[in-house]
Order: sequence, then structure tokens, then C-alpha cells
Amino acid sequence: MAVIEARGLGKTYSGKTAVADLSFDVLPGSVTGFLGPNGAGKSTTMRLMLGLDNGAGNTTFDGKPFGELGQPMRRVGALLEAKPFHPTRKARDHLRMLAAANRIPTSRVDEVLGQLGLAEVARKRPRTFSLGMGQRLGLAAALLGDPDTLILDEPANGLDPQGIQWMRLLLQHLAGEGRSVLVSSHLLSEMALMADHLVVIGKGRLIASGPIEEFVKGSRRNAVVVRTPDPGALTTALEAAGHTVSTDPDGSLSVAGVDTRTVGDLAFEHGIRLHELTNRVATLEEAFLERTAGAEEYLAHGGEQVAP
Amino acid sequence: MRDALAYELVRIRTIRSTWWLTVGAVVVGVGISTLFSWGISADFADNGVNGPEPVGALVVTQVAATGQVPSIVCFILALVGVLAWGHEYRHGMIRSSLTALTSRPALWLAKFLVVGAWVAVVAFTTFLLAGLVGTLFLSDYLTVLDGQTWSVIGRQVLYGVLLTWLAMAFTLLTRSQAFALVMVFLWPLLVESLVKLLFLLVPQLRDDQEVLRFLPFTAGTKMVDVLSEPTSTFGDPLSPLGGTVVFGLTAVVLMVASFVSFRTRDA
Repeated sequence: MAVIEARGLGKTYSGKTAVADLSFDVLPGSVTGFLGPNGAGKSTTMRLMLGLDNGAGNTTFDGKPFGELGQPMRRVGALLEAKPFHPTRKARDHLRMLAAANRIPTSRVDEVLGQLGLAEVARKRPRTFSLGMGQRLGLAAALLGDPDTLILDEPANGLDPQGIQWMRLLLQHLAGEGRSVLVSSHLLSEMALMADHLVVIGKGRLIASGPIEEFVKGSRRNAVVVRTPDPGALTTALEAAGHTVSTDPDGSLSVAGVDTRTVGDLAFEHGIRLHELTNRVATLEEAFLERTAGAEEYLAHGGEQVAP
Repeated sequence: MRDALAYELVRIRTIRSTWWLTVGAVVVGVGISTLFSWGISADFADNGVNGPEPVGALVVTQVAATGQVPSIVCFILALVGVLAWGHEYRHGMIRSSLTALTSRPALWLAKFLVVGAWVAVVAFTTFLLAGLVGTLFLSDYLTVLDGQTWSVIGRQVLYGVLLTWLAMAFTLLTRSQAFALVMVFLWPLLVESLVKLLFLLVPQLRDDQEVLRFLPFTAGTKMVDVLSEPTSTFGDPLSPLGGTVVFGLTAVVLMVASFVSFRTRDA
């Protein structure tokens, strides 16, 4: 089991800040989702963690920087590129080469090829591989040393729905074995199903870090939705009690920062009839868009921005 | 270091280009020598060893054993070096390499050692086979694989290794396989020729033409030159040792620059 501790990570390109003073932990036994808009600095952060890029700060794996790990693939498995292999080197040879650098027996090469469903193409050249097969070969390389830590940059890219589900179950299984898994993805619905913790960054800075439930719970999109034939009276009563009320386009009221029991009791006390009283729970996507508003590289034209 | 060497040994053997270039170098090297040996043998048969335009034994032995000066074999094998670093950057392999091996100096050194050793072995084998073919054709007239030929073969092998290392360093510095491939041939064939032309055309430079012997590839050809009669190591022309020092220093300077760059730049 390995704890990843990233502290004060920073990187600038020609004076432009890509990552700034970024600190977070990745705990064993959990899948930690690494989220951020395009250009937020996720890939740069992962490269900094592995010592591939020069920058500020340090990352330790159970107290040791990556550069000090002997036979690093036995400790940290990484997938940083969509197709991180030579197109004409056979899949098995690619893994044999990496195994040789870490004194991993060839039997393990065949084992991971089987585990990742690549046994039939082990002796094929990956230039003919689909993006999904390429991702699986990259993942096979990451798992080659049976590491206790995985750092995966967009591993679901190019996978079909079955492949994405397979990936989710695999990563959850690996985390269930006590490994630390840090995975970036732009598939928020997948991340909601897969991750236990989140590290969210925007413009290279930390926006949030912690359990996924807390991140979603903190969204202003969480509200009590109430429908009544007398919205004016209920709004007055709620505002008098110090609650923030907004009127939705369909005429229902949204009350933030309160639970259904409080709204129901208040309506009863004021003799107001209710037709609907429900909790609206924000999705991860809503929470993510809300927290990263203004941190994306581009703003969609014609799209509605979630108010921060 | 042991792990880096193991990695490089598997890497160089599991890529098709290594084998294509290796077979190409052997075929071209032995092929050219076969043609030379056959032609000279026919000439000797018609006109005798001391015919109307006698070919010096030294030239015979050299072309028979090493093809030409400097051998095209070395240039073909230098491409193995270009691809050794070129593939790392062209196919994004460098990040895989550096997450499998955390020591950049070890990876850098392993690449230069393994590729250098590969080139040395293939070049020596090629020249040896060429010499044996030469012996087959010319044994009735002279001894091809004599002491002097062995000396030329040794210098050709050294030239091949230095050229390969220079090409590798250049590739690592530019991180462009295509640019490095072009430059390996353009530098000796075009760049140095243009510099020489400049010294010929510009009156102010005309008196300083003797410095041209220090141009890296011009000096490199002197490593394997058996026709010139140098008077001192760094005189004009350079001796084989002088050529080795100049060409070798060029390679070393580029290698040091590539090492510093590799250690400090982002992967």
C-alpha cells in the first residue's frame, strides 16, 4: 500500500503558469479521480509527479520520490499517452522490453497480456491496433510490475461502453486490493461511478480535494424543490426564515441550504398547501461545472453557464 | 545501469529497422567490395598486377575490404543511432522509458553503449566478410587481409561508432528524427562543401583555407585515409590520429551537450 503525497507542485511554460502550488494526497484502497477542464494542468501534474517534467514541489510514494524508486514499475504503474509504444514493435516485445528494465519475469508479460485480453494479439504489431486496444496495451504496461500505485491519464479514451465499464470494474478491483489509483478522465458520469475521492483543479490550481460525496454535497445545485398553489406566500415565509429561494421556469421554487423537513414544517405552520416537496441532488457534472466555471480554456457559445 | 542495458538490448533487437539497416549495411558493404574485387581481379588477369595503369596494392586492399573511404556502411549503421533516440520522441516512447527507468544518465549511457557496440560488431563483421570476399578474388595476386588492412578496418569501425554517436547526439539535441536523418548526410555532403566553397570564393578567407582540414567530417575522412601522406598529427593534411581527435572531439562535444539537455529538459 502506498500513499501518494504531492506537495507544492508548480510548472510554468514561458512565464505562463500551468500548475501552481498544487498539493493533494492519494490514499491506498481508493480510486481518486483527477478532474479539471481542458488545459487545467492534469497531464502536466502527472508528469511532474513522475519526474518527467522539471518544476516546483515534490511527490512522494510512501515517502520516496519517483526518481529514487528502484525498479519503479514494481511500485508505480503509469499510463500517460494514448499509444505509448512503437507501432512496429510487437505488443509482447514492448512489454518484454519494459519488463527487462525492472527485472520482471517474461511469465508476467504473458500474464498481463491475458489479463487485459491481448493474448491473441501479443505477437501483432500495434500499428493496427484500435485506440482502445492501444489503451489496453498501455494499461498492461502499467500493471506489468504489479504495482501498488497507478497513475493513469485518461485511460478510458477510445474505449467503447463495454470497455469503459471493464476499465471501471478493473480499477475498482485494483483499489479494492489496497492500491492507490489516481485516474484523470473527462467522463464525469464514469468518474461518478468509479471514484471514491476527487482532486479537482482549474487553471493549474487546486479547487477541491476530498471524498466525492462532499464535493457534490457542496454544490449550490443541491436544493429542495417545492411546488405550491401559493408560491408568493411560501417565498415570503421562507425568506423570512432566512432561506434563499429562487423560482424555476416551471413555477416551482428551489430552496438552497435546507432540508425537506424544514420546508414542510414551515409550510404547515403558515397553512400553505404543498403539491410537491423533493430533494434535488446535484450531479457530479453540475458540481464540477459550478466549481470550475471560469477555469476552462473556452466558453461554449450558446450554452448556459452554471452560476457559481 | 544493468537494468538500462537490459532494456536497451531488448529495445534494439525488437525493432525491425535495426535488422533492415544491419542487413542493408552488410549487403551494401560486401556487395561493393565484391564488385571492386571482381573488377580488379579481372584487370589483373588481363594486364597483370603491374599493368599500364597499375592500381596500388594499398588501394586494392582498402576498397576490397572496406568498400570506399569513408565507408557507406558506417553511414547506414549511423541510422540505427538516429532511430534509437528518434523513436523515443517520435512515438512518445520517452515517457514510457523514463517511467521504466528513473535514471536518465543510465538510460543515456546505455543507449550510447549498446548502439555503439551493435554498430562496432556489425561494421567489423561487414568489413571482415568484405575482406574474405576480396581474398577469394585476389589471393593469386596479393594479400588482402594484411596488417595495414586490419588497421584500416579498425579505423573504419571506430569511425562508424563515432559517426553513430555523433548522429545520436544530434538527434537527442534536436529531438527530430527526420531532421537528424537529413543532417547526417547533408552535413558532410553539403554543409562542409559550402563552407569550402565560401573559403574559395571570398578573397579574405582564401588565405586561410588550411583551417578547413579541421571541419569535422573532412577530418573524419582522414581517419581512414591511406592515400595522403601527412607530415604531422595536426598538419595539412591531418594524420589518421589527427582526424580521429578532431572528429572524435566533435562527437564528444555533441554528446556532452545532448547529455546536459537530456538531463534537464522535460521528457
